[in-house]
Amino acid sequence: MFSTFRDFVMKVVLKPTRQVMDLKIYVCVKHVPDTAATIRVGTDGRIDEDITFIMNPYDENAVEEAVRLKKQVGEADVVAVTLGNDTAEATLRSAMAMGADRAILVRSAGRPDGITTAGALCAAIRRDGPADLVFTGRESIDAEGFQTMFRLGACLDMPVASNVVAFALEKGMVRVTCEMEAGDREDLELPMPCVVGAGKDLNQPAYPKLPDILRARKKPVTVVDQDQLQVPPSTSRVEMVRLETTAEERHPKPLEGSADKIADAIVRILRDEAKVLE
Amino acid sequence: MTKKYDAIIIGAGVIGCPIGYELAKMGYKTLNVDKLSDAGEGSTAASCAIVRAHYSTVDGVAMAYEGFKYWLEWENYLGNVQDEKGLAKYMNTGSLLIKSQGHDWQKVKNNYDVVGVQYEEWDVAKIKEMVPVYDMHEFWPVKRPEDPDFFKEPERMLEGALFCPEGGYMSDPALSAHNIMRAAEARGAEFIFQAEVAAVRSENNRVLGITLKDGTQIDAPVVVNVGGPHSHKINQMAEGVYEGCNIKTKALRHEVMHCPSPEGYDYLNDGYHTSDGDIGCYYRPEAGNMFLIGSEDPDCDPQEWVDPDLFYAGKESSYRRNNQLTAEQWQAQTYRCARRVPDMAIPNQPRGVCDLYDCSDDWIPIYDKSSMQGFYMAIGSSGNQYKNAPVAGAMMAELIDKCEKGLDHDKEPLQYTLPHIGRQIDVGFFSRNREINYNSSFSVNG
Repeated sequence: MFSTFRDFVMKVVLKPTRQVMDLKIYVCVKHVPDTAATIRVGTDGRIDEDITFIMNPYDENAVEEAVRLKKQVGEADVVAVTLGNDTAEATLRSAMAMGADRAILVRSAGRPDGITTAGALCAAIRRDGPADLVFTGRESIDAEGFQTMFRLGACLDMPVASNVVAFALEKGMVRVTCEMEAGDREDLELPMPCVVGAGKDLNQPAYPKLPDILRARKKPVTVVDQDQLQVPPSTSRVEMVRLETTAEERHPKPLEGSADKIADAIVRILRDEAKVLE
Repeated sequence: MTKKYDAIIIGAGVIGCPIGYELAKMGYKTLNVDKLSDAGEGSTAASCAIVRAHYSTVDGVAMAYEGFKYWLEWENYLGNVQDEKGLAKYMNTGSLLIKSQGHDWQKVKNNYDVVGVQYEEWDVAKIKEMVPVYDMHEFWPVKRPEDPDFFKEPERMLEGALFCPEGGYMSDPALSAHNIMRAAEARGAEFIFQAEVAAVRSENNRVLGITLKDGTQIDAPVVVNVGGPHSHKINQMAEGVYEGCNIKTKALRHEVMHCPSPEGYDYLNDGYHTSDGDIGCYYRPEAGNMFLIGSEDPDCDPQEWVDPDLFYAGKESSYRRNNQLTAEQWQAQTYRCARRVPDMAIPNQPRGVCDLYDCSDDWIPIYDKSSMQGFYMAIGSSGNQYKNAPVAGAMMAELIDKCEKGLDHDKEPLQYTLPHIGRQIDVGFFSRNREINYNSSFSVNG
């Protein structure tokens, strides 16, 4: 019902049209050890993988943003991609339960470095694409290399924005806010296609309900062996030489005396020993 | 110099502390020793701390119903003692026992009638009115998510539930044990921590005392094993005691999950503790508006019996046997609960607690003397005795005192009068010498 003629004009004649685009959105996800797991180094110098694995937490923000974008634009294909062994399919299923339409598993053995990972993801996306947008998490919580998205951007010849905490797609341009060191923020505008590294504050992931999980079990996962992608070998690589767990030793030191004396002692420790005060 | 007490209680959890408290009230000079750093830091801290009355035996129901009175009047029970950490709170949510094929609820109803537990029978319409988020279809039998039939559409509705207005949970089980410790100390009880028992000394089948790992010897004519998941190891330290028990105890690994409540539903303030045998789960509100989801050990779930020392050190043979949540069990318990609560959104990362039950052969505790004079046991709590802790404390104190004054409890079992409900229970029901009690539910339900 319209209360006035002006109301009719505003709601029917001049109603805002929803931006409808047919987008191909890739989300790179990683199958990582649960942050709550007890990490042990095995006799082979690698982490003992007899632990619970989950989707990299930052990748949840990436998947969420991709799914929200799909709802905003109306037509989009959200594809989750990962490099890993067969167990990594569980993380792809989690991404599809959160709303990704389908997934690609680039099957590989071992724990490839960021260089190899970026090359393989790039090849998989090119083979399936072309991509309009690529989301990743800002870093993985196991390797914390913080470089895969940049190498991926270089390989795909796309600009990259990292640690994104706000995202908007307007008239074919991506507008993001990136969180920098010491809490500063920077606003960027990127042409599509581009790579967006999701930060923790980008959104609150909406977790799936049981019907979503059931639907995800039936969504397609394309499996391609890393060798099939014929990724040109890189001239450089990162090799893990040694892995050690750090032994946490705490040596509490009681501070005694009056409240003023204790406060002075704390300030001195923070300034002169911990060096977190000027 | 060897210290001397009237009674040493091994363990300062939620059952060890009230035993020390009640003996101290009787005038005993007591010492609780615990290998951890404070009261309630062991398996007590991981307890779901649920207070409910439904048990598969009449004496089980009676003890639990008696227990309510202590939780409801917590400050009075503690003798109005001050605790610098604050007091644990009893959250009375009411308790729903879903009428399902997974529970012999008719037996529970009969037990309620015998003991005088207040309850109502709710049909599905009433449940939907009071708990709109529940889907009251029947999902029996309990399955794992890997089972192809897990997601099968249900065909029948459940009948309803038994609702007890008296039921709920304690907000902080570790704090509750700490409160009882402070109350005990106000009566002269002593506690030492980071004190691991290495030996139980005896002579001519009479207990003399204990030796700690650091070599300290402490003497007492009464030693009480309240060692929780380590109970079988402590019994093995006392010559002949472990072999003299017909019912044994061992440590069972258990995972409890925390999953957010559906958007828009205030489970913390509006929800009920629910025992749901139809899906093999029980659940209650948890801080942060979460569903705390425990398992009722359905047949389809593998049981992991572990060595408690290896478990807590994370050195069991597989992570599925250590103190870490597993993705498989996270999915099993949350997916089952989500069948009942369809709007439940399930995070990717498991959240919750993994700890041990001190489980007896028939999931009924052992509150008894032993074959060694002066050595007593309050063990085999099997995940279902938190609620009975204050009652167990008083009952054990009376048992110990009577036995030390000449009662032959094996021949003439103590008849203990529950002070609040006035009912007498035969403490021989909890005997170490009993045959396996097939009336038990053989589960956390007791």
